[in-house]
Amino acid sequence: MTRPEPALALAAADAMAREPILRLSGIAKRFGTVAAVDGVDLVVPEGEFLTIVGPSGCGKTTLLRILAGLEQPGDGAIVLRGQVINDLPPNRRPTCLVFQSLALFPHKTVGENIAFPLKMKGVSPAACETRSRELMRMMRLPDAYFTRNVTRCSGGERQRVALARAFAYDPDVLFFDEPLSALDYKLKKLLEKELKDIHKETGKTFIYITHSLEEAMVMSDRIAVMRSGRIVQVGTPEEIYTSPANRFVAEFMGEVNVLAVRRRPDGLYAADETLGPFRVAGAAPSEGYIVVRPEFLRIVGDGAEAENVIAGKLYNSYSLGSRMQYRVRAGDRLLIVEQSRAAAATPQIDSDVVVGWDSRDALFIDD
Amino acid sequence: MAASGMANVQGMAEATGAGWRDRLLSAGARCALPVYVLLAAGFLAPLVTVVAFSFATPRSFDAFRSFTLANYAAIFDPANTVWLSFAWSIALAATAVLILLLVAYPIAYGLARVFGRWAGLISLLFVFPLFVSENIRLYGWVLFFIRGGVLDGTLGYVGLSAPDVLYTVGATLFGMVYVYLPFMLFPMTLGLSTVPRDLIEAARDMGASRLQIWREIELPLAMPGVLIGVLLCFVLSVGAVAEAKILGGQSIIVITHDIEIAFTYAQNWPLGSALAVLLMLVVGGLTLAVIGRIDLDRILGRR
Amino acid sequence: MSADALGPAERAQRRSDRLIWTWTLVVVLAIYLPILCGLLASLSQGRYFRFPVPRWSADWWTRTLESIEIRLLVQTSLKMAIAVTLIAVVVAFFGALAYARYDWKGRGVFQKLVLLPIFFPQPVMGLALLLWFSALGIQLSWQTAVFAHLVWIVPVVTLVMAIQMYGFDPALEEAAFDLGASRLQVFREITLPILWPGIWSGALFAFLLSWGNFPLSLYTTGPDTAVPEWLYAKMVAGYTPMVPALGSMSTIAAALLLLVAGLALRLRRRRVSP
Repeated sequence: MTRPEPALALAAADAMAREPILRLSGIAKRFGTVAAVDGVDLVVPEGEFLTIVGPSGCGKTTLLRILAGLEQPGDGAIVLRGQVINDLPPNRRPTCLVFQSLALFPHKTVGENIAFPLKMKGVSPAACETRSRELMRMMRLPDAYFTRNVTRCSGGERQRVALARAFAYDPDVLFFDEPLSALDYKLKKLLEKELKDIHKETGKTFIYITHSLEEAMVMSDRIAVMRSGRIVQVGTPEEIYTSPANRFVAEFMGEVNVLAVRRRPDGLYAADETLGPFRVAGAAPSEGYIVVRPEFLRIVGDGAEAENVIAGKLYNSYSLGSRMQYRVRAGDRLLIVEQSRAAAATPQIDSDVVVGWDSRDALFIDD
Repeated sequence: MAASGMANVQGMAEATGAGWRDRLLSAGARCALPVYVLLAAGFLAPLVTVVAFSFATPRSFDAFRSFTLANYAAIFDPANTVWLSFAWSIALAATAVLILLLVAYPIAYGLARVFGRWAGLISLLFVFPLFVSENIRLYGWVLFFIRGGVLDGTLGYVGLSAPDVLYTVGATLFGMVYVYLPFMLFPMTLGLSTVPRDLIEAARDMGASRLQIWREIELPLAMPGVLIGVLLCFVLSVGAVAEAKILGGQSIIVITHDIEIAFTYAQNWPLGSALAVLLMLVVGGLTLAVIGRIDLDRILGRR
Repeated sequence: MSADALGPAERAQRRSDRLIWTWTLVVVLAIYLPILCGLLASLSQGRYFRFPVPRWSADWWTRTLESIEIRLLVQTSLKMAIAVTLIAVVVAFFGALAYARYDWKGRGVFQKLVLLPIFFPQPVMGLALLLWFSALGIQLSWQTAVFAHLVWIVPVVTLVMAIQMYGFDPALEEAAFDLGASRLQVFREITLPILWPGIWSGALFAFLLSWGNFPLSLYTTGPDTAVPEWLYAKMVAGYTPMVPALGSMSTIAAALLLLVAGLALRLRRRRVSP
C-alpha cells in the first residue's frame, strides 16, 4: 500500500537503533465507562521532537498527563531509561510539563518563577539567581525582567518564562500541552521556530501535543496521530503526509479527495456507474478508497492529459495566494483541485470542467 | 476546563502513590467535615430540640418524654390571637420584599452596568452597614424621627413639625426595608452581572426595544439572583424582631417576639417551640424549594 | 468620542444612567443618615437628644472611654470576635475547599446545606440555641455566644472564601508539583499565598460580623454582655448619650479596621508586582 522512500526507511531504522529514552507499552486509562487512552505503545528515541496530533477528545492530553505523572494509568508501563516509572510521583520524575495555560505563578516574579524548581531542590538563593539569569539569556528575555511580575509580561514573553522554568528543572523529557494554541499567527510562527532551535541546541527529548497540523509538520522529527485513545500511525511528517495509514490520517492531515471504489472484473476500479473506471497503481484489494491530494488533481483538456478523469462543473474558486483552489462538483461529490496560479486560466463558474490525476500520484487505502 | 481541573486534583493526589488513592477519593468530603459537624451540633440539633419541645406538655420542660399536640391546638385556637403575630410577620415581610425589589433593582443595575470603576466603592458603602449592629442603626432612625429629633428640629426651621411616624406599623416596615436592603441588593447584582453584555447588544441590533430587552433577556437571566434576594429577604424579615421592637414600639407584636416572650417571660417553652416550628416550616420550606432549583456553581462564578 | 450628535437611544441611556446614579446616592445617604444622627446625639451636651443640638460637647465620649463598665463590655465583645475569627477561618477554609475546589460526590448537597443557616432568621436561631443550651444544662456565657456566632458566620465566611477559590487555577499546583515541590511546599509556596487574600477577607468578615452581632448575642451570652446588648438595654431604658457615643465609636472602629485591612491588601499586591 505505501511506498516509503528508501532514505526515510533508513532514517526510521536509524532512530530505532538509537537507545530509546521512553518506552510506552499498553498504556490505558478509563474515566468511568469512557476509555480516554485505549492501549498506547510508543518508543521514543533520545533527543527526538515527537508531536502527538489528533482531534479534541482523542486522549492526547490525558496521555501526556499520564506521562508526566499527574494521572495514573489504569494499565500499561512507562519505562524511562529502562526504569519503570509508573509509581514515581511527578515531583520525582525527570520530566517536566509545560501546561497549555503555562501555569506561571502569578504572585511571583519572572526570576522567582524560573528559579522555582531549583529552590525546591534546595539550591542556594545565589546559585538560583545565577542559573535563572543564565536561562533568561538563553530564552532571550531581557535581564531587567528578573524582578518583573509575570502577569505583566506579554504572551510571547510568558512562553519563554515557562520554557526557562522547565529547563531550570533540567528534565530528561519535556512535555508540551498545546502551549502555542492561544497565540496569534505571527507570534506562533516565531515561537515555533524558536522552539525548534532550542530543541536542537539542547538536544533534549520533546514530546509535544497539538491539534494543529501545521505546527506538527514544522517542528517535529516524528508525528504520532492519535484517535479515540489509540495511536493510529507514527512516522516522519513526510511519511504521514504522503503515506497515510488510513482515511482518518489522510483526512486529518489536510484536505483530500476520497473516492470509495470497488474493483471491476476488468481490473479497473469504479466508484459507481457514473464515476470511473480508474486505474490504480500496484496491487490493491477489491474494495477501498482512492485518495488524491488536491495538488495532484488538475484540470485537464486543451493539451493537458491525465490517466484518470472525472467530468464535472466548477462550483467555486478560491485564491490561496500563489495557488488557486477549485471546487468541482461531480454528481454528489465535491472535488478539490489545487494548482499554481501560473498553470491555467480560471474557468467560469458553473462551466463544464474535466479534472484528472495520474494513478502514481494517488493512494489506495483500504480502511 | 474547570471540570478537568477539578478532576486533576484527584489525579495529583493519585500520583503520590497508590495508597493515597483510596483516602483522597473523598478529599472534598474530609474538608467538609468540620463544617458539617458544626452545623449538626449548632444548627440541626437545636432545631430538632425545638421540634421535640413543641410536642411536649404545655408549660413543662419534658421534651422527648411527652407527646401532645396541645401546643399546636392552642395556636390554631381561634380564641388565641397569636396567629395575628404570624399574619403580621408574613404581611410585613412580603411588603418589605416588594418594596425592596423596587428600591434595590436600579442600584443593582447600576452596580452591574452603570457605575464602572465606582462599582467597587459603592458596593463597599452598601456592605459596611452589615458590620454595624442593626440596633445601633435602627436607633439612629429613632433619633431622627423622635419628637425633638433631627427631622423635627430641621422642619422646625421652617415652622413645621415632624409627623408622628415612630412606633407605628409603617415605621417597622421602614426599618425592615432599611436593614435588609443589602440582602436584596447583592444577590440581585450577582444575578444581573451574569447577563452578558453582548446578548443585550445583539438583541438591540435585532430591533428589540429597551422594555423588550429587559423582559425577554435581562430579567429571565438575572432571575436566579433576584429569586435568591427575594427568598433571603423574606425569610430574614419574617423572623425579624429588632425593627418591631425599636421602631414599632408596642404597635405590633411579631411572631419572633411572641416566641421570645414564650421562652422567657411566660416560661412556656413548648408553646414557643410550636410557634418556632411553624415559622421554621415557612422558612425552611421556601428555602429548600428555591435553593434546590438553583445552580450555585454558575452563579458564584465557576468557569 | 465626540458628543455632538447623540442619537435618541443614547440620550435615553444617559438620562436613565443619571436617574440611577441619583437614586443610588439618595439611598446611600439614607443608609448613613441614622449613623450620622447617632454621632450628633453623642456630641450633644444635654442628657436627652434634641435637634438642633443646643450645646456641643465631647463629654460623653470621654465618659464612655473612661467607663469601666464599658471597658468590660468591649473586652467581652473583643474576646468573642477574636475567638470566632480564629475558629471560623480554619473551619471555613476547609469548607471553602470542599465548596469550590474538590470535586466530590456530595458537593452539590453540601453547597446547599451550608447556606441554610444564612437563610434563617437570627433571632429565631438565637432562641433555638438558648433552648438547646438550657435543655443540655449548659451554662450560658460568652463562650456559648461564640458557638452561636459560628453557626451563622462560618457559612458566610465559607461563601466568601469559596468565591475567591473559584478563580484559582489548579494547574498552578500541578505545575509546582511537576517542578519538584513536595505537597507541603506546594501548599506553602503556591496555594496559601494565592488564596491569602480570600483568607484575609474571610477573617475580616468573621471579625466584623461577630463584633456587631446583636440577635445571637442577645439570647446566648447569658450573664456576659456584649456591646450591642448593652446598647439595646440602654435604648429601652436608661438612655444616656453614652449609647450613641459607644455606637459611633464601634462604627468608627469597624470602618478603620476595614480601611487598614484594605490598605494592607493593596500594599501586598503592589509589593508583588513592581
